[in-house]
Amino acid sequence: MKQCNTEQQGEWTVVKLGGEVDLSWSQQARRAVLDALAKSQKVAVHLAAVSYIDSSGIAALVEGFQSARGKGQTFVLVEVSEAVLAVLRLARLDKVFAIRSALGEG
Amino acid sequence: MNRPAAPPDREARGALPPDFLPILAEVSQQLAVSVDLGRTLRESVAYITSYLQAEAAAVFMLDPAGAELECRACVGPVDIHGLRIPAGQGIVGRTVAQNACQMVRDAQVDPDFSGKVDSSTGFITRSVLCAPLTTAQGVIGAIEVINKQGGGLFGEADRDALRLLAAPTALALNIARMAGDLVEQNRIKRELGMARRLQRSLLPKRRRGSYPLRAINLPAREISGDFYDFFDLPDGRIAFALGDVAGKGLDAAFLMVRCASLMRWAGKEGLRPSDWVARVNDELGEAIAPGMFVCLVAGHYDPASKRAVWANAGFPPLLRVDAEGETEQFPAEGPPVGILRRMDFPEQETSLEHASLYLFSDGVTDVRDSAGKTLGVDGVEAAVRGLGILPPEPRLRALVRELRQLTVTDDTTLMLIEGDSPRAAQETNWLDLDFPAQPQELGAMRHKLAAVLARAGVESGLRQALVLAVDEACANIIRHAYGGACDARIRLRLSQHDNELQFELRDFAPCVDPATVQPRDLEDARPGGLGINFIDALMDSWSLQPQAGGGNLLSMRKRLAEPAEDEAA
Repeated sequence: MKQCNTEQQGEWTVVKLGGEVDLSWSQQARRAVLDALAKSQKVAVHLAAVSYIDSSGIAALVEGFQSARGKGQTFVLVEVSEAVLAVLRLARLDKVFAIRSALGEG
Repeated sequence: MNRPAAPPDREARGALPPDFLPILAEVSQQLAVSVDLGRTLRESVAYITSYLQAEAAAVFMLDPAGAELECRACVGPVDIHGLRIPAGQGIVGRTVAQNACQMVRDAQVDPDFSGKVDSSTGFITRSVLCAPLTTAQGVIGAIEVINKQGGGLFGEADRDALRLLAAPTALALNIARMAGDLVEQNRIKRELGMARRLQRSLLPKRRRGSYPLRAINLPAREISGDFYDFFDLPDGRIAFALGDVAGKGLDAAFLMVRCASLMRWAGKEGLRPSDWVARVNDELGEAIAPGMFVCLVAGHYDPASKRAVWANAGFPPLLRVDAEGETEQFPAEGPPVGILRRMDFPEQETSLEHASLYLFSDGVTDVRDSAGKTLGVDGVEAAVRGLGILPPEPRLRALVRELRQLTVTDDTTLMLIEGDSPRAAQETNWLDLDFPAQPQELGAMRHKLAAVLARAGVESGLRQALVLAVDEACANIIRHAYGGACDARIRLRLSQHDNELQFELRDFAPCVDPATVQPRDLEDARPGGLGINFIDALMDSWSLQPQAGGGNLLSMRKRLAEPAEDEAA
């Protein structure tokens, strides 16, 4: 089970990921994140439906974060599931990413 | 004062003199607030005696069996407190039997008057007035007044007064009786609790770790008719015993305590199982209530030779299950103990090399399924076979869980002797998985691993973490060792050694230099290279060993927390 859609919500480009993000398709997730950053100043990755994520999936998020920072873009994670949060904490990335409970303000 | 017009006087009211109400109020009040019923009854009877101007009075109460009437309070020249008369005899008996007031003008000519008290004391009973004490549960006794002072006769007004006074008396007696029942019930409950604690104190302490024997006892009620015991003999063998006393309740529980003590006393001498059981049979037979007997099994297990020897006295068949799941039943060859002295109890034996021996009381085989059918030895056998792979303790607990879902009406006692004790057998093999080095294979691997970890009792947070670590290791093998997805294989094995889980990942790629595989600095947030950090953080230890003949073996270990103390204690 995998889910990877990109949609526009106002000024935000939202990449919605779902299912088990692992080595089998994390490259696809990475591509979606980088594509969104190529066309939008504000990118959010929606992670509520992610039940599992491995280090290759985390790597895709880290790459997006670094790319955005280099170009002064906004890059946030929204509705991060417990499964993802546990892995972010393990990698000590939970304080690195901008994590939001919802896309509203800013 | 303005008051509504009083209702017209009725004839009946005129029958009771105006001084009656205060005495009724007084007696009712006394009885209602009484904390010492015996004293209050005496005082009430005294009030009634003086009010009715009688020479003597007494309250009789029916015993719970309804066979006798006992005097519970009396006033007068003759103390008959405690006097018992057969129910139905005398004027009191007639009052109770007919549940009606009796007014006897001359007792000496009454056909039911016994005159026993009179003849032994010199008291002369002339007239008698007797009213039943009635409650919702029926007549519980009677109140009797004797001889109007001055030689007169009791009148209608006296009879009505006594009937009215009988009501609060009956009520007070009834409440006192119910309170007594309640106190008695609480006392029994307390004493049963003590008996239960005493029984539990007789059961041996649970041993941990590699001890080859486990047992569990679930009483159907507060107290149990089952017992088990095990203890070490000086030569290293383990003596074990399991018994089931016929019947339930207190008498079975007492016999259980006696039998368990006898078993231990005789067992400490290290007698052969057949002599051990015969000795207990002879001792028990010297004094045992008729119709009572004990089914038991007693024997020795030698952890060195892995041989179990036992004598079975009417106990359900012992069940041997080997590592391949093959089963064998050993039915009893001796009769239950306590029936006949000088009986033979043949010995049976088996090897527990790669096998387990299950002993269970008939509470286990008599467990009923939803259709009301008993499980039987074959049913237990099927249930046991289904648990094959679990380590002994979780296996016993899982079996108990399974039985509890069915209805357990009898005491349930289970013992498990494990030939391949954790120390000897080293490990449980949980998983052996072989799959191609393809990222698409990882999802299925994770799901199987998570399911097996759940069965091993690993809680969900740790389970997710361990799955992540193994997944990362597999991903590294695919990407780095094999250099990308290919059809070469990865083999994952999970085993458990006491409380330690061991994950082994074998690949057949070119040998990797372990020195090149190191966790990186996490302070530097960059993509890639995180996998080995995850493994490092989540496992207690790991090692990567190039294998002779090619390939690598990654071993990862995680120690589980000690299981919490539970009902199996």
